[in-house]
Amino acid sequence: MFQSRSEYDRGVNTFSPEGRLFQVEYALEAIKLGSTAVGVQTAEGVVIAVEKRIPSPLVEPRSIEKIVEVDVHAGAALSGLTADARTLIEHARREAQNHRFHYDEPMPVESIARAVCDLALRFGESGEGGDDDDGDDNDKNEGDGEDDERSGPRLSRPFGVALLIAGWDENGPALYTTDPSGTCIHWGAKAIGAGSEAAQNALQEQYRRDMRLAEAEVLALRVLRQVMEEKLNAHNVEVAAVTRTVDHARVGQFQLYSTERVKACVARLPETETATS
Amino acid sequence: MDRPLSHSSFLPPLFSSAPHPLSPPHSVPHPSAAPSVNAAERPARWSPYQDNGGTVVALAGRDYAIVAADTRFSVSFSIPTREFTKITQLTDRVVLASAGMGADRQYLHKMLHTRLAMYRHQHQRDMSLPAAAQMLSNTLYSRRFFPIYAFNVLGGIDSATGEGFVYGYDAIGSHEQLKVVCSGSGQAIVQPVLDQQFSGRQRYSVPDAERAPSLTLEQATALVRDAFASATERDIHTGDALEMWQITAAGVRQTRYELRKD
Repeated sequence: MFQSRSEYDRGVNTFSPEGRLFQVEYALEAIKLGSTAVGVQTAEGVVIAVEKRIPSPLVEPRSIEKIVEVDVHAGAALSGLTADARTLIEHARREAQNHRFHYDEPMPVESIARAVCDLALRFGESGEGGDDDDGDDNDKNEGDGEDDERSGPRLSRPFGVALLIAGWDENGPALYTTDPSGTCIHWGAKAIGAGSEAAQNALQEQYRRDMRLAEAEVLALRVLRQVMEEKLNAHNVEVAAVTRTVDHARVGQFQLYSTERVKACVARLPETETATS
Repeated sequence: MDRPLSHSSFLPPLFSSAPHPLSPPHSVPHPSAAPSVNAAERPARWSPYQDNGGTVVALAGRDYAIVAADTRFSVSFSIPTREFTKITQLTDRVVLASAGMGADRQYLHKMLHTRLAMYRHQHQRDMSLPAAAQMLSNTLYSRRFFPIYAFNVLGGIDSATGEGFVYGYDAIGSHEQLKVVCSGSGQAIVQPVLDQQFSGRQRYSVPDAERAPSLTLEQATALVRDAFASATERDIHTGDALEMWQITAAGVRQTRYELRKD
């Protein structure tokens, strides 16, 4: 089997006779090596939680960044090659700011996720890029005097990273995933990364759409605890949520939890997994 | 700019008193602006701009907005057509009217419609009133140094609350959210009347409490009709017919009234 593959997995944009893009599939495999990330959407907001693998006790845990803010009303958890994620996140941030600049409103979460996916399949040897490389698929930005130049040449391989994008726009809370194949899906609850299969099964059993935000925090951490190798504590997970703002604006507010707040969430976890809600 | 500036030698020629070789042959256009002093000194030369007259009005109440314009298209003292609409509907809740030059208006409206369509495709929803207002401003500003000769008033209702708002613009995108605004050749005649009757400014004959009346849609409609009838009496570039678009939560309704044709 491997022999027949090797013919077609050299060129990143070459289809195999069976109609598959092996390099993209390998990139999807790379996600499965990444740390697990879990997202849970409720009517009160969206919670995202990520396992932080700390390779050595000498590592400063805060320097490992697995959850990032995209805009005031949206954030993302990453799994896979963190360096690749930086390109995608920077693109998402720029698109979100671009949207604010042009329309004086926060960018819809679905559009943010889609902007990331637009970039996902823009790789390949032909780096010169006949299509517009300004990272924006329409010309509405022409001449606004602050055009975004894409930094550096195009990536020669697929991005080896998946994102969980949590946000709250005028349609309410939303949780999206993006992956190296450019697929963009809206989920109620979703896990990505190394433990995603077991975690997704756990979510499927325990997730309810009418959950409170506090329950979602507990669910996300419990699911992470089940799939993590290390014992879960406030330092080896990162948690964030997008919730309604105090002034009940039309969009939500992204917030990365402080260690104290994560500690408080961890303290609410049941001692053992036998106690199911 | 006659006032000498102490640091003028450091400024680019655009800001000094000497005419810049690339500057358009006029100052930033305004339909009611007097011809520039330079025009008298220099031999007449071709201008890319023309003022085709007309008056546009937008006003907004608690649950409605009205966008109105006359249909006269004039070139100096002649009237090539009496049926030239200055209004375009952008979404179910947003309507735009533009005075100024006919060709620039058509181009601007066409460009806005493509941008609205692209937005609809990208975000699966119509642009909101504030979004359309910002987008129009950026569109105008993108032509900062060769402006589109159109003087826009944008009216609509907030998609969430249903409250009406209007926006007034200059040719290069400076804009302001207002409750009543007028632009075009009849601006100097219509705006003070609407300020007084609609916003309640300078209504010294009535008690303070009654100065800012909140007109109903019907009252506002009548006021706009009267204002246009008056402007038609005195402004030769305004007349023929009045097109009025009423925007409410129920949708957009278009009405037409005849005006003097002389």
